[in-house]
Amino acid sequence: MSHAAFLLPAWLFAIGLYGVITSRHFVHLIGCLTVIQSSTYVLLLAVGYRTDAAAPIFANLPIGTPAVDPVVQALVLTDIVVGATVTALLLALALQVHKRTGTLDPHELRPLRR
Amino acid sequence: MQALTPLPVALPLAIAAVLLIVGHILPRNGADIIAMLTAAAAGLIAVLLAMAASEAPFAYWFGGWQPRDGVAIGIAFVVDPAGAGCAAFAALLFFASFIFSWGYFDEVHARYHALMLIFQGALAGFAMTGDLFNFFVFFELMSTVAFALTGYRLESSALEGALNFTVTNAVGSFMMLAGIGTLYGRTGALNFAQLGRALAGLPPDGLLALAVALIFGALFIKGAIVPFHFWIADAHSVAPSPVCAIFSGIMVPIALFGAARLYWSVFAGSGLDQAPLRPLLVWFGTATALVGGFTAFMQRDVKRLLAMSTVSHMGVLLVGIGLLSSEALAGAMLYLLGHGLAKAGLFLIGGILLSQCAGIDEIKLRGAGKEFPVTGAFYALGGLIMAGLPVGLEHQGDHLIDEAISATGLAFLPPLLSIANGLTGAGILRGAGRIFLGLGPEPGEEALSPTEEEREKQDRPVWLMLLPVVALIGTALALQAVPAEEAARQAAAMFAATGDLAAAVLDQAAWQPVAAAPEPSSASPIEPAIGLAVAIGLAAFELGRDHLPRRLVRAADRATAPLFIGLDRLHDGVVGDYVAWTVFGAIALGVVIAIG
Repeated sequence: MSHAAFLLPAWLFAIGLYGVITSRHFVHLIGCLTVIQSSTYVLLLAVGYRTDAAAPIFANLPIGTPAVDPVVQALVLTDIVVGATVTALLLALALQVHKRTGTLDPHELRPLRR
Repeated sequence: MQALTPLPVALPLAIAAVLLIVGHILPRNGADIIAMLTAAAAGLIAVLLAMAASEAPFAYWFGGWQPRDGVAIGIAFVVDPAGAGCAAFAALLFFASFIFSWGYFDEVHARYHALMLIFQGALAGFAMTGDLFNFFVFFELMSTVAFALTGYRLESSALEGALNFTVTNAVGSFMMLAGIGTLYGRTGALNFAQLGRALAGLPPDGLLALAVALIFGALFIKGAIVPFHFWIADAHSVAPSPVCAIFSGIMVPIALFGAARLYWSVFAGSGLDQAPLRPLLVWFGTATALVGGFTAFMQRDVKRLLAMSTVSHMGVLLVGIGLLSSEALAGAMLYLLGHGLAKAGLFLIGGILLSQCAGIDEIKLRGAGKEFPVTGAFYALGGLIMAGLPVGLEHQGDHLIDEAISATGLAFLPPLLSIANGLTGAGILRGAGRIFLGLGPEPGEEALSPTEEEREKQDRPVWLMLLPVVALIGTALALQAVPAEEAARQAAAMFAATGDLAAAVLDQAAWQPVAAAPEPSSASPIEPAIGLAVAIGLAAFELGRDHLPRRLVRAADRATAPLFIGLDRLHDGVVGDYVAWTVFGAIALGVVIAIG
């Protein structure tokens, strides 16, 4: 596969990071985190892709048929589960913080220093 | 014996699931007892594994999927004394935390205990895995559980800290996964040993530098290395004290242990050049030690101070690992143990303050601890250990690291690191004098400034909470004798035997004993003396401000103000800035590795 395919995950990673760094609202920031995470899905699937290969399910395929790499797909599945957990947890925390302080702007929510 | 290998991980995970099911019908303290027994049992099994592996390390292939022709088909745990020892050490800290938190959480359902046991299982798995995929899975598991435990008290006033912690560490997870994807795409391997062999046959290129920067960057976020460390004070100020003991005692250091594991079993044999990597890690470590030391000294919140002190000590640990020699590695292992024991004990004392004195702010608590002289004595003792008291495991490790530094010709570095650690000790001693003896100037308007309104459950006996503190700090001091050092030098040599380890894992080759890392020469008394002098001198200066010539005090304040104001501005609490620093650090890592 062309190396150009790897530019997409790099772009997604960078734009997600930009969003996290500049965000002024935690819900928006959590959305940006999932953009970064999507970049890892794309990267892994691109790594495992083989041109003209079947899905790695051998129920109806003769042994020896070329298939795309199932290991990266397992990695992606694990990552999706983790991502869902972290996003849910973050949103729950954000909700709680909003209840108490009435804001979700990271600049106003600085934990006390010193 | 080898059949027991999965148990340090599987047992806590299984009991955690059971606790969640039956938690609501357990009698009062039932969950406490079950959790303590589980932590102890998993720890004992890990000790047995470490002893079984002391002659020869072994691989455990899940489901019996042995490698064929040097290609790993299944997933392995690689048991060596260092990894299994780390799992056992984690279990010890969890056991102590469970004693401390006896009756701490009122609610039924035992959710706290279940989360803590999952945490323990994840740490053990992270220490023993021999596979990059599982390395990530356990890393993620411990992160996620840590997030949940940090925000455990949803009514806590410092909940924003939990958000900062979760966001920065989630970015770290994605970095690690991207790095793993890159490595896998380059080599087609995930097993450490097989990865190492595959990389050895490839020329080093930008892709390898990218992968190393992403993975080490992720580990440095968790390992609190400057400039990746910003989350640490926020997380520690909001998490319950027994959880903080676990964070600073093992979760943060084990990330650096993971970096050492990856270096020695994957990258050591690759084309990755040691020449740029060694100074890079040593300088990151030195900067971390210094920034952590100064920032710790300026904190007035005891838990934030202890958290920043952890940063300073992680710097020394990274120097030990980054010297990339088995001698320094042995020192790093001892240092990890000694620091973890003492720091966990100090955080539990923070918990005693929160429950007995209803506060954690040093200035507001002035004199509030006079009723607890034993607690105060152990707090001060912990401070002396942090400053480099020349007894105990931490000193032993420090000494080995200093020797290894001197061997590379950077003779000015050990005193610098001692000063950094002395600064954290100064902060702790100042707190001990102020809180437990009522020393120091009368707080004026400072006492009115807003601080976190925190308090932890108060109706528990002090002796019960003090018991694990005494045990942890006592162990850190008592375990200094020669056997610990010999075991560490042996374990480090085995850990660093890249090729032999790969042969044992992939080819079932018989293990050839390796020579232990070289013995250090006689102890140099200079470094501990520097650290202790800095700690005691600065603490005395801070507490005696009223009795010193006013002109001297004012001159000192004026001279140090820019430094402290700068550090304060740096730690500004905005999560976007934290992530920006992370990106900067990762790019710096990548560029230096790629260009050399």
